[in-house]
Amino acid sequence: MWWIIALAVLAIIPFVSPPSLVYLLGLTFIFVVFVVSWDLIAGYAGQINLGHTVFIGIGAYTTALLQTGKIGLPIWATILIGGLTATAFGFLIGAICLRLRGYYLALVTAILPLICIQILNVYSEIFGGYEGIPLGLDKALAKDPIAEYYIALAFMLACIVAITLLIRSPLGIKLKAIREDEELAEAIGIDVVRYKLIAFCLSAFFAGLAGGVMAHYRITVGPDLFDVPLMLTIILAAVIGGLGTIYGPIIGAFTIYLAKTYVFARIVQMLSLNVSDEIFLYILLIVVILKCPEGIFPKLRRLIA
Amino acid sequence: MLEILIYGIIIGSIWTLVSSGFSLVFGVARILNFAHGTFFVLCAYIAILLFPYLGYLSVIPAVIFTGLFGWIVYRFLVSPVRDYEVMVILITLALALLVEEILLAVFKDVSKSFPSPVSGVVFVAGVPVPMNRLLILGVAIAVTICLEYFMSRTKMGKFITATSQDPEASMLVGIDVERVYSVTMVVSAMLAGIAGILYAQIYSVNPATSLRVLIYAFAIVILGGLGSVRGSIVASYIIGFIQVAISMLFDPRWAEIAALLTIIAVLIVRPKGLFGVE
Repeated sequence: MWWIIALAVLAIIPFVSPPSLVYLLGLTFIFVVFVVSWDLIAGYAGQINLGHTVFIGIGAYTTALLQTGKIGLPIWATILIGGLTATAFGFLIGAICLRLRGYYLALVTAILPLICIQILNVYSEIFGGYEGIPLGLDKALAKDPIAEYYIALAFMLACIVAITLLIRSPLGIKLKAIREDEELAEAIGIDVVRYKLIAFCLSAFFAGLAGGVMAHYRITVGPDLFDVPLMLTIILAAVIGGLGTIYGPIIGAFTIYLAKTYVFARIVQMLSLNVSDEIFLYILLIVVILKCPEGIFPKLRRLIA
Repeated sequence: MLEILIYGIIIGSIWTLVSSGFSLVFGVARILNFAHGTFFVLCAYIAILLFPYLGYLSVIPAVIFTGLFGWIVYRFLVSPVRDYEVMVILITLALALLVEEILLAVFKDVSKSFPSPVSGVVFVAGVPVPMNRLLILGVAIAVTICLEYFMSRTKMGKFITATSQDPEASMLVGIDVERVYSVTMVVSAMLAGIAGILYAQIYSVNPATSLRVLIYAFAIVILGGLGSVRGSIVASYIIGFIQVAISMLFDPRWAEIAALLTIIAVLIVRPKGLFGVE
């Protein structure tokens, strides 16, 4: 019931709100996919991946490079190639790190985004360095901003449905078993490393796709798609919503992204502070973690129940 | 070749201070402190800021403040969420970025250096080495020896070792484990702070340095094995040599990428690092 109302509202919005908000909401839809795909590996398989932005960035840069390279493939083909490239990369990282227990995955993946940005700068003639790569207007998802909005919305819905189906499948149940108790899961015959690796690759695939869609939505790619602030925003959204629940990270993603781009940016502007709006995000993250380490929405739900 | 060896030892001795503190906190309290680079940068900035008033004495309040900051971070941010491993990572990472943004707003994106008390060049085995780098090596080694003395000879050091081996048993014999964790955090912050001041004499610091330092700290502790202080000392020198060799033979910008490739290679061959503990 709630889903239908939410969908109806999202479907009507472009006709009743200013273009800037419509554009922002489109970005938010893609951001939701970032968060939900991260939740697949962190919330369901229990593996703390701090380098999710690497997959987003690889997806975005792959399609951007292919499109500027005059190969003449349609946009969605290169976006798919971007997703597959991210998956291949995820397979490599996962194959090395997922055998290790505990903190090694978090440590190695935390380094990766910084290294990727370094590589972008070293080879700036290919990757455009700090500036990134601009894509022409003709490479946008659609000519019309409202059509772009609906494409982003459809993309988000498709990804949410796909990930929900995955989680409800036997694969998802095995992942939850691994999250709860790795040794017990192994004891009842689940190949822990293999399933963690499958989840990692799936998570990378959706992140890469979303990165590619993001590139064509805002018709530019830049190092910010790899950077730590984006990673932290993704984590904050998932944490606020509650890890390992599909709806939680979705609500969290909407709340955080709109708060960050709409509310915080205005506060900074209004107070004419010479700071980045991300400061509020970090303070919010610290307060949220201190007040309810298990997430805001799970806590609210408990209070209501 | 000799050049790489000498300069590598000097850089390695700075990384020793950074990584031994990081490793100590993880080994004792199982805290992965993503704000470790923040201690490094903050201490350097305070020392540089106070230098016009206090001269070289500015080092003392800087290190003391950094230790105090370490205590505040532990007491008010890390300790309340210690049971949630992920949240410890997130809250320290958020703090690191918050401090970076604040430093950016206050000092802008300019690199600053700490003036060195000595100048001139001496020849070590035919290789010209600036005096200030030798001083840094001396200070870093002296601090490492002090740490070793503190850990093996003082009562608090023995409490720390005991807690790292078995927190529950330590509690049973009357060790105040919470206090041990706070002290560990303060020591670790001060070590990182001293390293920051030394680093700022050779290179320069800017607000973004804290994340770069974190790359090296992670690379070193993965290489040496999480939680092993001795392993991280050995790994610090290995990373130091690699960093200097890459900078001299290729391009300094490749140094971090080479560090990453090294740890990936080590993780494939020895998944627990060179001296890892369970």
